[in-house]
Amino acid sequence: MIELYHGGPTGHSASALIALAEKGLDFTSHPIDLAGGENHSEAFLELNPEGQVPVLLADGRTLTGTFHILLYLDEAFPEPSLGGEGTQARYAVHKWGKYVETHIAPNLAIARWAQLGGVADARPERLPPARAALWRQALAGFSQEQVAAARQALEKAAARVAQDAAATGWLAGAAYSMADIAAYPHLAQFHALGIALPAGAQDWLARVAERPAVREAAGDMPIVATMGPEPGRWG
Amino acid sequence: MLEVYTWEPNANSGKPLLCLCEKQVPFTHHYIDMGKLEQFSPAFLAINPDGTIPAVVHDGFVMTESTPAMEYIDDAFDGPALRPADPWWRWRMRQVMRYMDNVVAPSLAMLASNRLAAPRYADVDEAEKRRELEKIPLPERRAAWEKLMFGKTPQADLDESARRIAESFDLFEDLLSEAPYLAGEEFSLADINVMATFYHLPQSYPDDVNDARRPHMMAWLRRCHARPGLQRGFGTGRGFITQRAADVRRLLGVEDAA
Repeated sequence: MIELYHGGPTGHSASALIALAEKGLDFTSHPIDLAGGENHSEAFLELNPEGQVPVLLADGRTLTGTFHILLYLDEAFPEPSLGGEGTQARYAVHKWGKYVETHIAPNLAIARWAQLGGVADARPERLPPARAALWRQALAGFSQEQVAAARQALEKAAARVAQDAAATGWLAGAAYSMADIAAYPHLAQFHALGIALPAGAQDWLARVAERPAVREAAGDMPIVATMGPEPGRWG
Repeated sequence: MLEVYTWEPNANSGKPLLCLCEKQVPFTHHYIDMGKLEQFSPAFLAINPDGTIPAVVHDGFVMTESTPAMEYIDDAFDGPALRPADPWWRWRMRQVMRYMDNVVAPSLAMLASNRLAAPRYADVDEAEKRRELEKIPLPERRAAWEKLMFGKTPQADLDESARRIAESFDLFEDLLSEAPYLAGEEFSLADINVMATFYHLPQSYPDDVNDARRPHMMAWLRRCHARPGLQRGFGTGRGFITQRAADVRRLLGVEDAA
């Protein structure tokens, strides 16, 4: 019995939805209205005090942390294998998972917030201190320097996608993997923010978008400004 | 051929050293002296252009992310398994490592570097410091070093780091009251990751981490420090870390393995 609390086919929630579709798993879907601030509702914060989606309920356990949810799904439900073929590809899957969560997603959140604005009903006072501080900063507005640095980091990420996908068409070794699933919903938003993708990254994006599971999960990939996922590297 | 380019058996730098010693895999340790900023030297930048340690090179395959490299080591080599078989405990192992990597270890590094490294730059002239800064490739690391060298780390950041560390002690005490190790009944990569940064707590935070206040953390520290693999790992240093680990073992009443 699997349940997923998610913000619809965007950002980290999209990665979890795609992974469930790739694995062909049935699950109970609990959509959370991020634009309406439902992720800060008392009911949701009981499930995840950090106020972040997605949250996976499986085998009587509650799992957070998107990339680690993806690895859990791959290890608990081995077919089809999406963890990387061979030790070097598996290292690359882990490297990309970490890069998406600590570099791409936090910088995308800042760039997207600056351009598209945020939610009406954020409740930082209900969050743990580090998350609350991030939200207060967002509500006060990020500085021009922060936004410029975030966009620069995203341009670097786009170049890195093109570079790593050059050899095989996928980010981690010879096969489509959780690295592609982790990165895709974030890279899919670059165009709307005016961040140019090199040809290699655009081709990769199109290749992932063609997968039936991605089409099934993604719908029209709406863009919602949500802060997250991790506080990012502190210090 | 397995080569590890790194400094002491401490924090990120120490993760592959401790991991390989636990796994009983032979390797060559190329010592990168952080005290001399050798991680920004042209020779090391040729291996890792980002200028971060460690770098682990296996038959020409270069790895520069320390936690993914630990997963690789367990994946690629024979020896005792360092990841639990159960998928949920593996999830727990990785969540603990991510929390350590993103939140706790950087907080401890910020406090320690401001206490230990910052004073060394007090009398260095500005042009010299600027020259050193220009060698640092990653903008976010350069910004952190600039604050450190010029004594400009905001007090609010130092306070927030102290808060994060204090909060982590409660969390680890809770986790270790559920199971003897951080990812269940067996020792795992999570224990190596956290030990690399926390091995000295009874000495460095004696008021917070002692038998009366944090009995489960203390029992875990004794279990880990007693391991021959970790003892060998902490023995790979050339500077004060190896001696400090030995001092902590004596403080904990843990015997040196034969």
